[in-house]
Amino acid sequence: MSYLLLTLLLLPLIGSVLVFAWKNPASKYLALGIAFAQMLLTFYMLTGFDFKPTVDGVLQYEINYPWSNYIKSNLHFGIDGMSMLMLLLTNILTPLIILSSFNEKPGYRNTFYGLILLMQFGLIGVFTSLDGLLFYIFWEVTLIPIWLIAGIWGQEDKKIQFTTRFFVYTFVGSLFMLIGLIYVYNHSASFALTDLYNADLTSGAQTVIFWFIFFAFAVKLPIFPFHSWQPDTYTYSPTQGSMLLSGIMLKMAVYGLLRWLLPITPEPILGLSGQIVLVLAIIGVVHGALIAIIQNDSKRLIAYSSLSHVGLMTAGIMASAILTVKGTLMIEGGEGALIQSFAHGINVVGLFYCADILYKRFKTRDIRQMGGLARVAPKFAVLFMVILLGSIALPLTNGFVGEFILIKSIFDYSIIAAVIAGTTMIFSSVYLFRFYAKAMFGEGDEEVLASAADLTGVEFSVLASLVVFVIFLGIFPQPILDMVNSSLKFIFTSMMN
Amino acid sequence: MSVLIIIFLTAVIALFAGVFEQGKFSRYIGILGLMIAFYVSFLPEISFFSQYQHMFEFGANAALFTKIAIVITILLFFLGGFSFSNHRNHQSELYALMLFSLCGGIILFGFQNLVTLFLGVEILSIPLYVLAGSNKTDLRSNEASIKYFLMGAFATGFLLFGVALIYGSTGSFDLYKIHEFAVVNPKNLMFILGAVLMLVALAFKVSLAPFHMWSPDVYQGSPSLITAFMMSVVKIASFFAFFKLMTIGFLGITGEWINIIGVLIIITLFLANVMGLAQTNVKRMLAYSSVSHVGYLSLIFYGMNSLSSYNLAFYLFAYSLATVGVMMCLIWVEKLKRETSYTAFNGLGHTEPILAVAATVSLLSMAGIPLTAGFMGKFAIFAQAIDQAPFLVLVAVLGSAISIAYYLRLIMVMFFPKESSFKTSEKVSLTYNIVAVFIIFALVAMGVFPDLFAKQFGL
Repeated sequence: MSYLLLTLLLLPLIGSVLVFAWKNPASKYLALGIAFAQMLLTFYMLTGFDFKPTVDGVLQYEINYPWSNYIKSNLHFGIDGMSMLMLLLTNILTPLIILSSFNEKPGYRNTFYGLILLMQFGLIGVFTSLDGLLFYIFWEVTLIPIWLIAGIWGQEDKKIQFTTRFFVYTFVGSLFMLIGLIYVYNHSASFALTDLYNADLTSGAQTVIFWFIFFAFAVKLPIFPFHSWQPDTYTYSPTQGSMLLSGIMLKMAVYGLLRWLLPITPEPILGLSGQIVLVLAIIGVVHGALIAIIQNDSKRLIAYSSLSHVGLMTAGIMASAILTVKGTLMIEGGEGALIQSFAHGINVVGLFYCADILYKRFKTRDIRQMGGLARVAPKFAVLFMVILLGSIALPLTNGFVGEFILIKSIFDYSIIAAVIAGTTMIFSSVYLFRFYAKAMFGEGDEEVLASAADLTGVEFSVLASLVVFVIFLGIFPQPILDMVNSSLKFIFTSMMN
Repeated sequence: MSVLIIIFLTAVIALFAGVFEQGKFSRYIGILGLMIAFYVSFLPEISFFSQYQHMFEFGANAALFTKIAIVITILLFFLGGFSFSNHRNHQSELYALMLFSLCGGIILFGFQNLVTLFLGVEILSIPLYVLAGSNKTDLRSNEASIKYFLMGAFATGFLLFGVALIYGSTGSFDLYKIHEFAVVNPKNLMFILGAVLMLVALAFKVSLAPFHMWSPDVYQGSPSLITAFMMSVVKIASFFAFFKLMTIGFLGITGEWINIIGVLIIITLFLANVMGLAQTNVKRMLAYSSVSHVGYLSLIFYGMNSLSSYNLAFYLFAYSLATVGVMMCLIWVEKLKRETSYTAFNGLGHTEPILAVAATVSLLSMAGIPLTAGFMGKFAIFAQAIDQAPFLVLVAVLGSAISIAYYLRLIMVMFFPKESSFKTSEKVSLTYNIVAVFIIFALVAMGVFPDLFAKQFGL
């Protein structure tokens, strides 16, 4: 029984209840305080964390408490390297996301912050639960707050239509996952992770379950044909909603793919299913990047770029998984996907915030109507540039390490696939530099520029914190690779037999 | 049996209390009597009543469902609110009729004999024919009453014909004798015909499509409190009777009727959910949603095990609580706005947050979102059925996927608009808020601690 993990899990829940109850403008400080305490707690847990356990896949800070006899399920939480990385991502980004909204007046503020904390609770639950039913429950718990955030504070004219579509899409995906999990559960002793890994499933059943569970992840990621909800939702959500969605929430699916899907149903990976997923992911990479090039709406551009990056992560995971199931243990794809999850989280939150800052200055999201801001806002120009370079995956920024490993792992599987997927690096520089050049240089509306100011204190502190991570992880990626190594070895080894 | 007698006496007293005072007394007498009955239902049965055992058995299951039905009726009595205008003068009769109908329900929980089954169905239904039409100036209410009566009469015909055929083949009305006969003679044509006729009759009562066509009109036309009663208590009673008859009486010929139910489930889930999506009136949407829930519930017939009746109780209780949660919101809106379209709910979340949150949690529970009771109920039933009927579970999942859209729509209407269309002067009463908080609490507690319910009800 680990009280540290229990605190980490319950603090945001209690915090959200307090923030809901406290109808006062000052509740935002309470929310920020809780999120910040949460971050410190995560760092503290990192100090007591065993990076190189002697046995692979060892769980630390475990909590295991019987929950229901009715459904054979336990309140089982624990952390290995992979979960730790995701917890770091969640708890570093949440205070920044809360801070980033301090200049805004969204109305019903305490509800807004309460929902963000509730979301954090759900996310931590997803990343730490070791019980199939708990995982599903937390997976759904994250959906409600983000849906309400998008719905209540989203762009007025479009929000009903797009939030409904978002909710229905992801809910349908989750339902299929539930059915898959229930089926596995009926053929195993309980909902415990290891029991699900060892469930007695026929090859045909595995294929069906693979697609059922994959569907949930594919919608959340999103993978190519299931992505149609994503650009609209990212565009019409409030900035904080887009940050939560793209920065943290889609990482749930990357995590779920590794932890819950591949080890439970290894057989279909070897067959056609694995290759179909790989192909879809690579189509997503190119498709997202190409569409991003012609976007004029800044948030939409970032949404499509996210689609492209996520496709690469999935492709990397699948390439390594296919090779592993064939008999050679390869974990690079997993490593690349996880480090890229972390990096992409930082970068995309930064990009959405930059888009938000630009929107505040120019009162439009159309990048054709922007221009020349670099002259009046040099601090912004520099920080924006660094985050941009991170997204483009310039060496020595955080994006490079992940993308390099991912393309290498795809290369190990197929050179042609690697060449096609590698185009993302070219395309991303095209669309992001186009965005930057239009917004920061060139002819701008002089009236707008005269009234535009450089970064405020809040904006600066958020962007500067993100930039620190962009550079730091670009130079020292090794700690993250070490962190996830042992858990990935465990997961990929359990796929082999 | 003692519970039944207490509720019957309460109903009689409540009826006569109306002579002295219009309505108020009866309501409190009803609540008091129901609470006593609820308490008594936890006590062991008095041995004097055991002579009825071949007609009526008050076993563990019957006790469990009786408790659930009583709790829901108490909640509805707390809501009160026959909010229609011209009818303030004759309320005690309505409360008394609700109690009589509940008596019919309790008979259904304990029936052991087809005669008792028939009695239970009729005692349950006849007060409802009156209650459905109790808003006499409203044409829809009259329509509801007539439609319900005619359909009920048809169903009774089927039921009686079925009973006659069963009696003709087995020579007995006793449920367990029928069970024995079916196990020994699974191919007796007259018996199978009787079973199918009874299935159709009860499918009418629980409104499984295509025998559901009366229910949207009846649910919409009836006064909202009565609609809530029909969606919850009546549904619990009739579905349990259906369940008991099929799984005890006709267990031996399961192969003959299970496929019929499978087809009915598919029709129900698609028809009800798609129609629910198309509605512009919340009350009608809830009516279709109620029909669709019978579809999910009917999956209980697949993969039966020792926990099935408990799963059924869990689902029905979760669903009924959620129904009360949404309907109380609707009763309040109807009282202020005199209509129940989606737009009537605009911005309710800003003026009556507790009520709106109760409705939201209820809707999420109906949709089967985790951490609510509805999720656990759906989960248990799906998990039970998936090995035997994977295709039907898939259909149920697709049905849920469609249904989420219309549940969300109501939540969005309550919370998403910036402006509220409600006058701030009129606030909802304390009783309503207490019931709302109770429902939120109960739904979440059942979703978070699914074992709690089991202990509470002695399983």
